[in-house]
Order: sequence, then C-alpha cells, then structure tokens
Amino acid sequence: MDFFVGIKGKDFVMVCSDTSASHSIISIKQDEDKIVPIDDHKVFCIAGEAGDRVNFSEYIIANVKLYALRNETELSTKSVANYTRGELAAALRSSPYHCNLLLAGYDKETGPALYWMDYLATLNKINTGGTGYGSYFTLSLFDKMWHPELTPDEAVAMIEAGIAEVKKRLVVAPPHYIIKIVDKDGVRVVKNV
Amino acid sequence: MAESQYSFSLTTFSPSGKLVQIEYALNAVAAGATSLGISATDGVVIATEKKLPSTLVDETTVQKIMTITPSIGVVYSGMGPDFRVLVRRARKTAQTYFQTYKEHIPVAQLVRETAAVMQEFTQTGGVRPFGVSLMMAGYDDNGPQLYQIDPSGSYFAWKASAIGKNMTNAKAFLEKRYSEEVGIEDAVHTALLTLKEGFEGQLSGSNIEVGVIGPDRTFKVLSEAEVNDYLQEVE
Repeated sequence: MDFFVGIKGKDFVMVCSDTSASHSIISIKQDEDKIVPIDDHKVFCIAGEAGDRVNFSEYIIANVKLYALRNETELSTKSVANYTRGELAAALRSSPYHCNLLLAGYDKETGPALYWMDYLATLNKINTGGTGYGSYFTLSLFDKMWHPELTPDEAVAMIEAGIAEVKKRLVVAPPHYIIKIVDKDGVRVVKNV
Repeated sequence: MAESQYSFSLTTFSPSGKLVQIEYALNAVAAGATSLGISATDGVVIATEKKLPSTLVDETTVQKIMTITPSIGVVYSGMGPDFRVLVRRARKTAQTYFQTYKEHIPVAQLVRETAAVMQEFTQTGGVRPFGVSLMMAGYDDNGPQLYQIDPSGSYFAWKASAIGKNMTNAKAFLEKRYSEEVGIEDAVHTALLTLKEGFEGQLSGSNIEVGVIGPDRTFKVLSEAEVNDYLQEVE
C-alpha cells in the first residue's frame, strides 16, 4: 500500500512518499520515486491502482504542458487541482480512475498550496494530509505538531516522527521513504529515510 | 473584374490570393457605426456611436457594449445579430474555462478562442463570415489590454484603435492624441473627443455608449448620466 503525506509550511510544501514498488506479495524495487513533477513548481503524489496511477498522471501532466505551450504561461496550483478534479469527475460515471492523490505546488503570487483528492473526485485544500494506511497513523500526530509558521526543519521532524509511528504500528510498513520540498526554488529532494 | 468571378464561394481563393467574401465582410464592418478603444496605464475604455433608425426606438433597450466576463467587455462595428451570436459563444467559452480551472480566463486566451470561431466560419461549407469586427477590452494579471478581432479571424492588440464608418479619421486623431502615460480618466475624455470628430449632431448620453474597466478589474458600461457628466467635462 502506498504511503504519502504532505505538509504545508510557511513558504514551502513538503511531501513524503514510500519508495517501494510491489506486486501483491513480491517487492519489485525499493527505490521507486513516486513523487512526480508536473512542472518546475508542482508535484503529484498518486496512490492507487497501478495502471490508473501512471495513465492518469501522464494525462494530466501532458495537458498541463500543452496549456503552458499554447498560452506561454503556466497554470497555477489551484487551476491544476481543479482541472485534475474535473477529469476525475468526468470519468467517474463511466470508467473511473482509482487513484487518491496529493498535489503540492508553489506559486509566486500566492505561495505554497497543498490539495488532497480522492478517486470520487473530492477536492480539498489542506495544511497537512495523506493517503493510504500510513496516513491514518500520522494525521493526529501532524495536527498536534503543525502551526502556520512551520519551517522546513520542523516539517522534516514531523515527517520523521510520522514515519517512526508507521513503522512501529503498521503491520506491512514500507521500509524506505523519500522526502521532497516544493518552494520558490522549485522541487528538490530533502532526505532519503 | 476577374475577382468577382470568385466571389460566389467563400471557400475558394481568387487568383490574387484573396478570399473575396472576407473582403466583403470587412466592407460590412466599414459601413457600421464607429467604435473605438483606448488602452491606458490603469485601464481600458471602449466606446461606440448608438445611432438608432428612428426616434421612436426605445434606446434604453439597445445595448451595443456587452460584458463577456466581469473583467472583459466587448463592442463591435457591423451587423448587430452576428455580434450577439459571438457574444453568446464567448460567454460560454469563458464559463467553460472557469468550470475547468476555477479561475477567470485571461483576456488573450478569450480573444484567441473567439478569433478561432470567426476563422472557422471562413473555412467551412455552407456558412458565411461574421459581418463584425470586435473590440475586446479586459484587465487580467497581464494588466489592461485592448484587442481587435476581424471577420477573417485575425486579431491585434492595440494601444488605441477605431473600427467602422469613420475609422480612418478616428485613428488619425488617436495617433495624434495618444500617449503611453495616459490614465483611464484622460482616456475616456480622448475617446469622447474622438467620437465627436466624426459625429453628425450633438453627442449625448443617449446616442453613445461607453464601457470602462479599471484596476478594480470590473467592466462597467457607463450609465447615461455618467456619460453626460464626462461629456460636460469635455465641452
């Protein structure tokens, strides 16, 4: 089961994902990067059914890129979130995409933003959140530790506390994780756990 | 002339490389009432003559300047009914964009989509080009903008321009009067003076229409009283 969490800080968004790719009981690889860049300042964390994840993310990313090429301007995080939700909603009553996802982005004018979406095309703008079994163990922990002026170091500490909790209490906890940050300088890896 | 032999079908080029129906559509525009637009540092103004066929027409029900979105307005020269159709399409395009992205469509994109519709009608069987040129005024994150869209589907961004009957004189007048630093208030005055140049009779709030958009990004058609106030300042 994929583990994703996202935390919005003062002027950044930090996301963490596990790095295992598995097929039923077989672990295929332990160093898979599942945080996918949409453009220089936005990323997707998509969990769910294998084929749908990749197909859906590639579809959205291609359309976002097309918009940027056509109009010589990039979409805002809010626009991408609503566009993605719209695509999930349109497919829902015929051939749904079974994906839950986090969208993390940084816009120059409006700052950091974190959105949570599920396979039913629910869209919520959040400060902290996650998908998968792992998130159940981390949500209340984040509620306790989060505050609006969060710094990147505090966010890393929060995520590491969350990972520790998951490893302790989740029966099939993934062993390795990758933490990335999205801010005014773009997307980069903070840490591999 | 050999040209006229090719004027029967819109979708056939003439030997000189023209699509004659589009030329004729531009003639329809040039026969229409004068409209103009001026882009200022902090907004855009568009204005038009509202010449009605008879004094018996209830001029309060005639509206030539239309709002497409709260931050984009448009005026035309040419055939009124064709304008209505384009306004309808443009409004739908703008709402579809908002539905998808939950953000307002940028002016340049709406212009492009509308121009694409007009171009479609120059390359499809069984239709004729639209007999209007549009002046679209808007304010978005790229600032105040003014665009002209022609029946051919070509579009241009202008600092100031005029279309319709008196466009050559009006454009010459604007060329002399226009400056890059002009603010929205001065632009309204200049617009009224430009309309006055080619106007037969006395300008008043009931025979012209003025639309303005400022830094509040809200397009507004001025009321008759407001137009009369501006006219008094100009006299």
